[in-house]
Amino acid sequence: MSDFNSLAELVIKGDYNGAQTLTQRMVGNGNDPLEIINQGLMAGMNVVGVRFKAGDMYVPEVMMSAKAMSKGIEVVKPLIADKDMPTAGKVLVGTVKGDLHDIGKNLVLMMMESAGFEIIDLGVDIDAEAFVKAVKEHKPQVIGMSALLTTTMLSMKDTIEALKEEGLRDSVKIIVGGAPISQGFADEIGADGYAPDAAAATDLCKRLIA
Amino acid sequence: MGVGSSHGNGLFFRTLTEKQAEEIHLASSRILEETGMVIHHQEAVELLRQAGAQVENGNRVYFPNHLVKKALQSAPSHVTLYNRNGETALQLQGSNVYFGTGSDTLNYLDPVSQERRKWHQEDVANAIRLCDKLPNIDFVMSMGLLCDVDRRMINREQYAIMVQNTVKPQVVIAEDGDTLRDIIEMAASAVGGKERLRQKPLFMIYTEPTSPLQHPQDSVDKLLIAAENGVPTNFACGGVAGASVPTTVGGALVQANAEALSGLVIHQLKAPGAPFVYGYGNSPLDMRTMQAVYGTPEAVLFQGGMVDLAHYYELPSWGYAGCCNAKVCDEQAIAESTMFTLMGALQGCNIMHDVFYMEFGLTGSLELLVISNEVIGRARRLLKGIDTDQESLGVEAIMRVGPGGNFLGDDHTANHFRENWLPDLSDFNNYENWSENGSKTMVDRARERIKQILETHQPKLVTDEVREQIETILKRAREKVGANEK
Repeated sequence: MSDFNSLAELVIKGDYNGAQTLTQRMVGNGNDPLEIINQGLMAGMNVVGVRFKAGDMYVPEVMMSAKAMSKGIEVVKPLIADKDMPTAGKVLVGTVKGDLHDIGKNLVLMMMESAGFEIIDLGVDIDAEAFVKAVKEHKPQVIGMSALLTTTMLSMKDTIEALKEEGLRDSVKIIVGGAPISQGFADEIGADGYAPDAAAATDLCKRLIA
Repeated sequence: MGVGSSHGNGLFFRTLTEKQAEEIHLASSRILEETGMVIHHQEAVELLRQAGAQVENGNRVYFPNHLVKKALQSAPSHVTLYNRNGETALQLQGSNVYFGTGSDTLNYLDPVSQERRKWHQEDVANAIRLCDKLPNIDFVMSMGLLCDVDRRMINREQYAIMVQNTVKPQVVIAEDGDTLRDIIEMAASAVGGKERLRQKPLFMIYTEPTSPLQHPQDSVDKLLIAAENGVPTNFACGGVAGASVPTTVGGALVQANAEALSGLVIHQLKAPGAPFVYGYGNSPLDMRTMQAVYGTPEAVLFQGGMVDLAHYYELPSWGYAGCCNAKVCDEQAIAESTMFTLMGALQGCNIMHDVFYMEFGLTGSLELLVISNEVIGRARRLLKGIDTDQESLGVEAIMRVGPGGNFLGDDHTANHFRENWLPDLSDFNNYENWSENGSKTMVDRARERIKQILETHQPKLVTDEVREQIETILKRAREKVGANEK
């Protein structure tokens, strides 16, 4: 088996220590960093994606694989110019003001990361002003807002309004999610998209950016 | 008291041994002492600091074991909720069990049109009126998230509907401290004043930490307001095993216990002896769909563990029953919800909510509610156990009837058969008679029962004066939050 195949296998198995070590060895052997990503790390992750969709792998296993991939990417990243880093797009995410529930947001984030998106994670309890500031700073293509509570979901609209006031609304796509959120609510507040789960959120981002 | 739950004559059930309960207690104590909690509430942090807790970075609090011990000593072992007439309704202690609905489902499975749609005020009023009539539904929660009121007013409007459509006690959700204060005022108005409400609480407030190990500002606000006003409260998160609590049942128990105890400590520091109900939920994350699911075997075991810990601490217990993951009231709905209801009853969980929850709590079904009412009836009969007094042993009757006789014509049967469970919805006809009656399934019969109750049942009304006071409180709140007048 080639080193590339072995690396892909380690990613599929979720052996992150192994993936890190092999990536270091491959860099030492003079392999092209971009090839390590595309033919080793991403190749493994693509198999993981197929197996997950088929129900042969479960999320905790996918996350170990994603961790293996990012351990490898950490090794090669300093060797690649920023503009050459393969990325599916830049997504900025946070839970809305008053809401500390970030499990759902983190799941989305991990699924997106494993699909190759660059993620800016603002964390929890993010008010409209902080979202606006982050949009100015990071210039993402997509903003994802998450809320678990029926009492906090209202502030999603505040953020959208604040972006309008700043003239930034058209520069980003806005997606919303969380247990109490529905397509109807997303339409009502003027969001661009809603997804009912983490896998669908990833697909939604791909569609919105395409 | 030890762990385990005693019911009726001879019936006993436990999930943990005493030794296991102690192991979990020690593990939780370690988490409280060594990892601590992040508490987003200045007053609570100050209370804890002054009591001897170590505080880092302004909100990371480490709970020394003596604080936990002290809180467990001052917390009452029994909490009583009263109905709107001031009569004792729920005695939360020992192995007593009570059942009620859940709150805030997003979707209503309309029993007439059978469509899945949003809840309107009239729907919630009808659903609460139905609960008022069902003998095995002991308390109510708000059931549906209202789509036809200003969003910031939802919990207040729900409360006004609840208190006017049933005399039964309530468990309430409040957006924030201000909402809770308004609800206290509405309840006080319904029972004849704040002092009377304090003496005979009509409702319990549901507050929660955010797992893992965080206490949001609004939750702690409500916890402290409850303590001050003598409103019974819990501090019970709905954990998601594999995400917000460990995936193992034991690990989930350790963390849940630590979080519940941390709430108890704050609560008892604010008002020693104030009524607190211990509990926690666990909806394990399904690792394929990423759904937090209800009533898996592990979730049921978890509840058994929590209830045994409540017995170990001599605290009243809070939990779940009658809820499921099904999308319509089908076989899965009944299998999941019935198992949870029966197990919760055996566990001796004092106050169980979410009866009627479908689709992990996103949807509510009145059919499931009515069928669960019957399931709870069966469970309650089981809890009575077997009587072994002379009359129940029936030795004289057996001698009287003798070999080849028939008990059907004997006094003993006539005197005692009504002690046995009798069905309300379950069909015990033979095939011919069942078929002649329209070959109706249990769900068909449940729908007919709902229709019949909603057409005929009128709950005891509040006085005009109380209704006006409630309307005044709502009006003031609408103005305050800037809600549009209806």
